[in-house]
Amino acid sequence: MATLNYPKIRQAGRWIDVRRRKLGMWAYALNRLTGIGLVVYLYLHLGVLSQLARGQSSWDSFVSLARSPYYLALDVLLLAGILIHGLNGLRVALTGFDIGVRAQKTLFGILMLVAAVALVAAALKIFGG
Amino acid sequence: MTSMKMVEVPLQIFRYKEGERPHYDTFTVQVPETAHVIDAMDAVWAMHDRSFTFRRACHHSSCGSCSLRINGVEKLPCITRVTDVWDGRAPLRLDPLRNFAIVSDLVVDVSSFFQRLSAAGMAITRDAEPSLPLSVDGLAVIGVSPKPVELPENLSCFNRFENCIECAICMSACPTMATDDKFLGPAGLAAIYRARQKTDNPIDVAHLLGMADGEHGVWRCHSAFECTAACPQAVDPAGKIMALRRELIGRRFKKR
Repeated sequence: MATLNYPKIRQAGRWIDVRRRKLGMWAYALNRLTGIGLVVYLYLHLGVLSQLARGQSSWDSFVSLARSPYYLALDVLLLAGILIHGLNGLRVALTGFDIGVRAQKTLFGILMLVAAVALVAAALKIFGG
Repeated sequence: MTSMKMVEVPLQIFRYKEGERPHYDTFTVQVPETAHVIDAMDAVWAMHDRSFTFRRACHHSSCGSCSLRINGVEKLPCITRVTDVWDGRAPLRLDPLRNFAIVSDLVVDVSSFFQRLSAAGMAITRDAEPSLPLSVDGLAVIGVSPKPVELPENLSCFNRFENCIECAICMSACPTMATDDKFLGPAGLAAIYRARQKTDNPIDVAHLLGMADGEHGVWRCHSAFECTAACPQAVDPAGKIMALRRELIGRRFKKR
């Protein structure tokens, strides 16, 4: 009997398929996306730091780029990733200890509210100087 | 006598037959306004296409065999009213459960689901039913014996897995199952939890917790809680997984 099996790469798309799903699935998808984003950032960060090895002029030109509003917007995006991943990770850790399992949706809501407030404050600081 | 109000429902159904490319077929059927989705599926089979395959048996959320995805979400069509899930415009989409090999149309191979329950020692009644008369509170219903039926000491191991109707909806809803075939999954881990509750035998406990603590055990769960949200019987597999984690963590601290 030949059955139909979809390839793994296609099935991985289900990690972020939140259509008609509940809040826990949104939390799951956000953690995957921000996790992958933070890994990519880590490698980019190492790449940027390698500019130091190319001398002062190379580093100075990077610093001037890093002060542009577009680059600062990326900083805010990075912060969003860190806050969402970190605080949602806290929810995962707590429920993993069997704490707040029944209140996991409320927990997620509260932690994301904390993330939003912290992000707005950080964005104001970054752009306001 | 009042006439029954009918609705015309378009159904977009996933189709797959061996050797063919998977695709969707759309059928429109007329069913009573109070009809369940399974009735509309029956109508498709009866009125449009006798090659349309799907599972169903009890029609009242007892056997779990008809489980599928309605508009992308796992449901039992036997207890889901058409009017509760159909917006009255777009076709109602029916897909097979995810995370299982598709055999034909809406029929999937659920053997991996039952293997997981068996791994926890949760025998399925219909496979392992002892040859005794049916009984209620120990009194025979079939047969003439007026005295309580002598039940074997180990009958508890033949009991059905309490509320679980073995619909496999939890395994379809779990996003982690999509990329880890060996993950014990919500059903397997909930079965381990239930089996653990039943025993204090150190060997059995070590075996069960060993499975739960393994590479494809409780630590693979990433707290999407979709299994609990989708379960039609309130088994709460995610809660059971978290309770297992708590016990495992507690035992590790005790060891130190």
